[in-house]
Amino acid sequence: MSLKSSILKKSIWVFHLNTGSCNACDIEILDALTPYHDAERFGVKLVVSPRHADVILLTGPITAESLPKVINAIEAAPRPRIIVALGSCGSGGGIWHDTYSTIGGVNELLKILKDRGIEVDAVYYVPGCPIRPEALLYAVALIKGIVSKKREMKIYKAE
Amino acid sequence: MSIKPVKLVIIAGKEGRVTVKYPFQEPIVTSEFRGEIEIDPAKCIGCGACVRACPPNALELLESEKEVILRYFVGRCIFCWRCVDVCPVSAIKGTKNFELATDKLTDLYTLVVHTRAICELCGTPAETVRVRRYVTEKVPISEEYVNTCPTCRKKQFVEKVATRMVGFSELKK
Amino acid sequence: MPDPEAVTKYIELAGKNSGIIHIEGDTVHITVPPSNLVDVADIVFNKYNCSFRVCAGIDERPLNGHFSLVHLFTDDKAGYYVVIKTYLSGDSPVAPSIVSAVPAANWCEMEARDLVGIEFRGREVYRLVLPPWWPSNLYPLRKDVPYNYRPEPRIESEKIGSSVEYGVIPLGPYHPTLHEPEYFELYVEGERIVDVKYRGFHVHRGIEKLAESRMSYQQINFLAERICGICGFVHSTCYALAVEKAAKLDVPERAQFIRSVVLEVERLHSHLLWLGVAFHLLGYDAGFMHMWRARERVMWLAELLTGSRKTYGINLVGGVRRDINEDKRQKALEALRELHKDFKSVIEVALSVPQVKKRLSGTGVLPREDAIKLSVEGPTARASGINKDARRDLPYAAYKYASFRVPVYSEGDNLARALVRIDEIFESMSIIEQLLDKLPSGPILLSDFEIPDGRVGVQVVEAPRGGDIHYIVTGRGAPYRWRVRAPTYANIPALRVMLRDQPLADAPITIASIDPCFSCTDRVVVVRDGKVEKIKLTPVV
Repeated sequence: MSLKSSILKKSIWVFHLNTGSCNACDIEILDALTPYHDAERFGVKLVVSPRHADVILLTGPITAESLPKVINAIEAAPRPRIIVALGSCGSGGGIWHDTYSTIGGVNELLKILKDRGIEVDAVYYVPGCPIRPEALLYAVALIKGIVSKKREMKIYKAE
Repeated sequence: MSIKPVKLVIIAGKEGRVTVKYPFQEPIVTSEFRGEIEIDPAKCIGCGACVRACPPNALELLESEKEVILRYFVGRCIFCWRCVDVCPVSAIKGTKNFELATDKLTDLYTLVVHTRAICELCGTPAETVRVRRYVTEKVPISEEYVNTCPTCRKKQFVEKVATRMVGFSELKK
Repeated sequence: MPDPEAVTKYIELAGKNSGIIHIEGDTVHITVPPSNLVDVADIVFNKYNCSFRVCAGIDERPLNGHFSLVHLFTDDKAGYYVVIKTYLSGDSPVAPSIVSAVPAANWCEMEARDLVGIEFRGREVYRLVLPPWWPSNLYPLRKDVPYNYRPEPRIESEKIGSSVEYGVIPLGPYHPTLHEPEYFELYVEGERIVDVKYRGFHVHRGIEKLAESRMSYQQINFLAERICGICGFVHSTCYALAVEKAAKLDVPERAQFIRSVVLEVERLHSHLLWLGVAFHLLGYDAGFMHMWRARERVMWLAELLTGSRKTYGINLVGGVRRDINEDKRQKALEALRELHKDFKSVIEVALSVPQVKKRLSGTGVLPREDAIKLSVEGPTARASGINKDARRDLPYAAYKYASFRVPVYSEGDNLARALVRIDEIFESMSIIEQLLDKLPSGPILLSDFEIPDGRVGVQVVEAPRGGDIHYIVTGRGAPYRWRVRAPTYANIPALRVMLRDQPLADAPITIASIDPCFSCTDRVVVVRDGKVEKIKLTPVV
């Protein structure tokens, strides 16, 4: 596994999986490939099939209608599977985390995947609504090991 | 075959290279950008006004017997800064941070732990100590009113009215 | 401005059909008994030439024991909203279907059937919005169903349809040309498409029910903005304008100007995005990169004016949250000047590329009569010869202070739709400059107001894709009913006409030429069971 991960760090091919998002995060993913931000400096390329993917970019609170198709797509990706949950919808379910028609973000999806025996090797969370293209590049740099993470849990006592 | 499509090369040459080599160069962020929020634990009183205003419930009040915890989950935040607008003591400030990616979910929490005061008559847990102090500073009311829970306050008020109308001895019977 | 003479024909219409009429501002409310509904709808749509927008089912049992069905039309020439309402029985609501007179009402009637439980007589019914395994007597928009009740999902994929005469090509739900999950099934004979089946609604998130339950009036602005990530500010503005119309609030002029400026900035970014994606689908990637390079300036401008590159979050009921001071105004005007020069030089070169010109012209034709019957919206309508634009017909916000031209072409093919959008980009830049020059002074947010319950507000705002309509019935603290219909909802049925008899290679650019925004559509799903069925070609209108 560690040999595979060190090969993985050279260039990351991503598959974009939209599970019912509003599209703002998806347009910012496309924006990350345009001249101002240029994700291809890191070797990132959008691929057409999950079978070619190293990393799956997941946007949207997984809706009830799209759940079977999302599970199929994730199952089709080869190991090691890395999921990057983008935005408020992916990380925490978003503004509609408890309605009748959504599952509630990537944490609930991981439980369903574990029940069916599909293993996910790493999950990254990128908050934002929508995420900036720079935030996505920061997450890619984090996966590759160029930068270290900045956000940590903070606990304050009031008195 | 017209030669016009080739003019794109001239346009590209004039623009030059526009890539900003983030993270090795500073990104282009304007002064108005809304990033994550910061809660000042010295000022926060635990009133819950931000919890009511937050559209995706990223700010939540978790209550137990001794403590009230204000929990901020950056993962679900939509960066609208409504909490900054409505906080009565200006304890919430906005920043320009957007580099929040991580691989552990617990990294995205911020907790502010408040001690909970109790009702002096019946002992049930009530609001936080700081809210009581804030109310007594702003409004001239008596201590025995502030230190009780709403149910006890109602009972006290009814007793006072009944005493004035009927006579205390009647009530004791 | 609404034309007062035009109201007399509606008063006569209501009188002849035992209806009650009530006029408030620019909205005409007509309540008729269910038996006269089809006649009234027929006259309003076919004789008075109003556009049909949407219908909504409302559960009014807590108020008066009935269900009700509302049909929304707009009289574009006279500048009126026409709301036709009918009451149905509270135990088993049955309504006559108006599809025979108004073909554009097809999808919204099925949505009312799925979400509220109103049965329709006189048409073929099918499940549209909810997934196929949803229990059949659970109607989410009824008042006795909680918003967060989730039935157990059935996780198995269904099979695609199959046919013995034609080849079947599934396009989606995850496909390189599509940004959103949607599923098209193309039935082909060799290289020619003969039929299309569409299944969408993968993006149905339960927004209307959420707004009625957990949210308050001011929080719904942020919810409405996230209906769509590309045209979100349109939804947020339309919601705020509808509530302000229902509560009769007097919003400061400066706030309306700021709203109009940001609406036009959004139109710029959306059309530039579409042009880039269209060039990419045609194989001209250099055009894609240059368009999005030019677009980056618009995103910087939006961040300067509002605080975020997208989902701006500056709208509140009663005004806006951020101001445009003198410094920002100068920077905005300068950015627009540079964008004008940049875009003009790139688009001239891009349109002269032979593959772009030849692949766009003559493909995906939508004839004018079909466009009128299906009530299509936006550039799709304007490219087929229909002169319809809500900024000019039903003026709102600060558009009455700007003068602009509405581009109309008559060929109806992909090239016409592209040219309409290119002309609109130049017009938008001119509108922003005019409004920034005339910005009045004053406050930007109304502070002390109350929203009474039981009022109705309807508003149409011209999104980059067409007219977006919001219908609000106010309640206490939160709306009682909120119905949103985005323009792509009306444009997708037109795809069947556009894709017939076209070569397969033109399918992606034709689907993209209506600028589909499926998250706005949010509701349409043609759900089929995974059974093998024989395909018969049925006429689409």
